[in-house]
Amino acid sequence: MTHSVENAPPASPSRRKSFTLSQRRYLAAALLLLPVVALRLFTTLYPFIQTILLSVQKYNPAFPPREYVGAGNFEKLAGDLVFQSSIEFTLIFVFGSTLLQLIFGILVASLLNAKFRLRNLARTINLIPWAIPMVVAALGWRWLFDGTYGWITDLQTRLGVQFSWLIDPVGARVAILIVNVWKSTPFVAISILAGLQGVPEELYEAARVDGANPVQSFWKITLPLIMPLTVTIGMYMMVWQLSVFDLPYAMTSGGPGFSTSVLAYMIQQQVATLNYGYASAISVVMFLVVAVFGAVGLYVFRRVEVQI
Amino acid sequence: MSMSRRSFLKASGSAAALALTPKISGPWVINRRRQNTVVLKIQAFAHDAIRAVLPDFEAATGLTVQLETGVSSGVEHLTEVSTAYAAGDSPWDVVSDSDESGPVLARAGWLMPLDDVIPQETWDDFPQGMKDAFPLWHGFDGAMYRVPHEFAMAYFFYRKDIIGDAPKTWEEMVEKGMEVTDAANGVWATTDGISRGGLMWVYLAYLTSQTNGQIFDLDDGTAMATRLLYDMMHTYKIFPPDAINTNYDQQNQLYMDDKVIFMRQWPFFQSVAEGNTAWYSPDKVAIALPPAGPSGPGSWWGGWGFTVPALAPNPDGAKELIKYITSVEVAPKLAAGQSWFIMPRASILAAMPDNVLVGAMGMYADAGAIKPRPYHPRAAEAQVAVEDALSLYITKQASLQEALATGRNLLAALGE
Repeated sequence: MTHSVENAPPASPSRRKSFTLSQRRYLAAALLLLPVVALRLFTTLYPFIQTILLSVQKYNPAFPPREYVGAGNFEKLAGDLVFQSSIEFTLIFVFGSTLLQLIFGILVASLLNAKFRLRNLARTINLIPWAIPMVVAALGWRWLFDGTYGWITDLQTRLGVQFSWLIDPVGARVAILIVNVWKSTPFVAISILAGLQGVPEELYEAARVDGANPVQSFWKITLPLIMPLTVTIGMYMMVWQLSVFDLPYAMTSGGPGFSTSVLAYMIQQQVATLNYGYASAISVVMFLVVAVFGAVGLYVFRRVEVQI
Repeated sequence: MSMSRRSFLKASGSAAALALTPKISGPWVINRRRQNTVVLKIQAFAHDAIRAVLPDFEAATGLTVQLETGVSSGVEHLTEVSTAYAAGDSPWDVVSDSDESGPVLARAGWLMPLDDVIPQETWDDFPQGMKDAFPLWHGFDGAMYRVPHEFAMAYFFYRKDIIGDAPKTWEEMVEKGMEVTDAANGVWATTDGISRGGLMWVYLAYLTSQTNGQIFDLDDGTAMATRLLYDMMHTYKIFPPDAINTNYDQQNQLYMDDKVIFMRQWPFFQSVAEGNTAWYSPDKVAIALPPAGPSGPGSWWGGWGFTVPALAPNPDGAKELIKYITSVEVAPKLAAGQSWFIMPRASILAAMPDNVLVGAMGMYADAGAIKPRPYHPRAAEAQVAVEDALSLYITKQASLQEALATGRNLLAALGE
């Protein structure tokens, strides 16, 4: 049985003051969302604000007093040799890794997109490095690069090349880059493969009719169409790899010297020695770097958007 | 079954309140649970020795001791415990603390003073040489916060079966080293686990103790020690350059694989070697004085010790336990169970006169080779700063003078 509005009994005074059904729905929705929103704010906004506040303080619980130092921590960073080396290697690591991962990722994805027997097996094998935990991979490669017992050292020695990768500052940086590219390229490849599968076959057929060879098709059709996805993946990899810690930690502990130290590793070391103010200042710098990367990525992404 | 919005909201609110209740009352619940439990955090390899002495304690006090595993690296240990203490909590009642962590935690006010807890008889059991170092490493501001349970002094282990006599001086070490090194087959005269994170500092501080230098001053003695390491690695080629990525386990393995002829190592290696029964013989793990540098043979000592966190959930139980495990009656039992607990305490020396390490300790003491651990109020940071700087020279990234200057700048930046 239903009531029409006209036939409804007159609302009591208390009833008139209560929320409308629509308002009550919004209220209920807000109440239901509140715990999640509060939790999210507590776990993101609070640490963020706390980090900013700590970054302008000299704070080590073992060495009081805790005091406001303004930009003091940042000035100290400007003269900190380890920080300079860390930010240099972090940027080399991020740019170098991402560029190589994208190049190899596109090549591997193109191979995996071709039609051949056992293609599914090849796609599965491709993912193996990505599935290995980073620390396990780092320790394995550390032994491969070992100057006394490493396979790589042994092979190059047989070829007459005497070089100890992990005790040479440049060699150690290159070795870490190689491992990271080896480890993460499969993920990039499989992501780009998804993009390649979305490129309409008709475009290639039309290009063939017009006399385009495979290389021309790749440059004129494939690459432009997967560019938005490539840029997105590139940005994702950059931002993700900016916070790398496990690979240098497990492979070289930041050495030789501090040539393979990265920002995240430096933050860990400062936190370990209770220098919370200084560690926060490094975190703020790292946040700014990530923010700049993100903004540039968004700008580039909008520039390369294409319509099929 | 249908549910009205009001019922749903009521039910949600009640559920949320219920979920929050344990969070609010958490510490109270934990403390109540631990009234009869005392939690001791210590490295896993020491658990068996500790367990062996606990039945008497538990029977006498009615307390139950729960053992929790600690990490082996002093710096990592500091990270772990300071995180809990800074958050105003301690899951542990008694903790085995390192030289890197103990003094810092005491300064931060996170440890309980032990002067009124530990009886004088226990303090008197330590030799004067150790007691002299207590104010720096175990106390702060006139109070004691840590009771040592380890006397970590590196010994010079050598293969008596291969070289007969150990080298007595730096020069002899290099000379003998060049005779026995066969790098092509992976055989090196000596090595050490000197990977980044403090281990290279340990080795350089050991060499510096043989020069009368002060490593935190980065003085001439430190320069001599650093140059010796560089020369052994790059000039005389008797020390593998890959050691900068090697830890103690790998170092020990190289020695037991017959790839290293002599080395500096901590006392725990004696137990490791004896445990390798298929390989071990006393002549393979002979102990000699370290080769003498310009100021004679030297090796510094430090070590771990027991502390009670200021926020221990069961402070009374913690006091009882630390009093018991550091007592003159129990210390020898712990030492008999695990070489890590062997110290020159009178009670231990009297109970274990024939022990290999006790004998070596006496030999080092008689030769005046036992040196105090180099002190810096910010030990962990200062060690890393010195190591970072000097490794620039060791890995050919800077000259020795540049590396020393870098080290001084890094130390100056630490402040106090």
